Amino acid sequence: MKVAFRHGIAAALTAAVAGYAAAASIDLGRIFDVGRDLRTAATSLDEPEEIAVGREVAGRTLGAAPLVADAELQAYVNRVGRWIAMQSERPDLPWHFGVLDTPTVNAFAAPGGYVLITRGLYDMLSNEAQLAGVLGHEIGHIVQRHHVKVMQQSALVSAGARAAQRGDRNVLVNNLIGTGAEVLARGLDKDAEFEADRIGIVLAARAGYNPYGLVEVLHLLAARTADDTSLALLFKTHPAPGERLTQLGDALAPRVAVLPAGKEPAIRQVDPRTPPPAASKPAPVEGARSLQQQEGGTTIPSGGSPPSKGLDAGGILRGIFGR
Amino acid sequence: MRSLQFSLNCALWAALLAAAPAAAQQVTLERDSPLYAEPRLDASQVAQLKTGATGEVIGKQGAWLNVKLPDASGWLFSFNVRFPSQPASAGDSGVGSAAGRVFGPRRNVSVTSTIGIRGIGEEDLKGASFNSDQMKLLEGYAATKQAAEERARGSGLAPARVEYMDAKK
Repeated sequence: MKVAFRHGIAAALTAAVAGYAAAASIDLGRIFDVGRDLRTAATSLDEPEEIAVGREVAGRTLGAAPLVADAELQAYVNRVGRWIAMQSERPDLPWHFGVLDTPTVNAFAAPGGYVLITRGLYDMLSNEAQLAGVLGHEIGHIVQRHHVKVMQQSALVSAGARAAQRGDRNVLVNNLIGTGAEVLARGLDKDAEFEADRIGIVLAARAGYNPYGLVEVLHLLAARTADDTSLALLFKTHPAPGERLTQLGDALAPRVAVLPAGKEPAIRQVDPRTPPPAASKPAPVEGARSLQQQEGGTTIPSGGSPPSKGLDAGGILRGIFGR
Repeated sequence: MRSLQFSLNCALWAALLAAAPAAAQQVTLERDSPLYAEPRLDASQVAQLKTGATGEVIGKQGAWLNVKLPDASGWLFSFNVRFPSQPASAGDSGVGSAAGRVFGPRRNVSVTSTIGIRGIGEEDLKGASFNSDQMKLLEGYAATKQAAEERARGSGLAPARVEYMDAKK
């Protein structure tokens, strides 16, 4: 009865949220019926609603950066990701994984099973165990409904403005998930990130991978400096990688002897014929320049300098974690 | 001209790689730690090292790094070390340094220089609107559980029983 009522209201609201989740099997309008204000909507999202909200967030993120135009790569990441998600407590969510065509180094989780990793981060990875660790971390956020909890909090904070906004469903939707995909730019609290790290390690191990792929990625990130613009958002929304390593080490120490060694399969590379990431804004001042090179183990960008006496953390880490 | 320079660089790097595959992989201890004789927490301790000690990494195994110090060598819990920072340079917007590529895995890799290409930041996310074409693509790439499992088995991945872990109290 209640469900039928909700669906009726949802149909009436579809026009109001047109453009948002128009193709979703469950549309967002359903979440905001007459008897359910923002506060109750956020605090009692059921799974179909969680998926609808996540789809909206993921779709907006795809509006900021499209998928890498390499269908084989995307299919590969979906098979790897689904296998890892199958080791979680929510194996039957409609899991979707994608590689975003942007040099930014980051990965995003949206509620309901949407995981997006940037090409900037993907290109840093040396093997599938590292990918498994990154995807496992994001899957951990989804399994624990971390972003849904953030939405609840923000909904509670903005409860005072609720009455004034009740007439505008688009404003309500945006209040729940922010304008655009703002919810992903807000970040989670530190404990949620540490928890996702621990889950990522365990899910990768359960899936048969070397459990320490995520640790290697954190070492790679820890060696990047804060002024690296491609990591600005990642560093803003996450605890420092070094702090994450310390936390993980403390949690893992009692377990290292019993964790299985696992496998490190090779990672699929982006098809070299795929165009480089496109500028997401009008052409940059200096003009985009790209180089696509096939490496036979010895490729560097042309014009690259020979190794300096100084240390190059990227090179060192790749040397250590590459095999 | 550029291709000649590129070829020379490749040759130089190939020679360096062959001669010194693990050149100067220095790490610094983040906290006081024992240096173990083997990659196990219950192995005998070769030395007790202080924060700030540096050593050269000569191998890795799971959570462990095999490290050579001036007076000793042994295994360090990898969580306790940090690698030197890699400054962001004008020619590297985040896909890894040239040296990183060379020291990296022996596989084909697509190196993409993204000079001048900006990525997505906070404002881009805030200003983004739903892209239904891209969402359709994303949904089309979804894998079934069966397809995922077949691929995993084909890659030699066997599921293991591993319990979740708590944060250190």
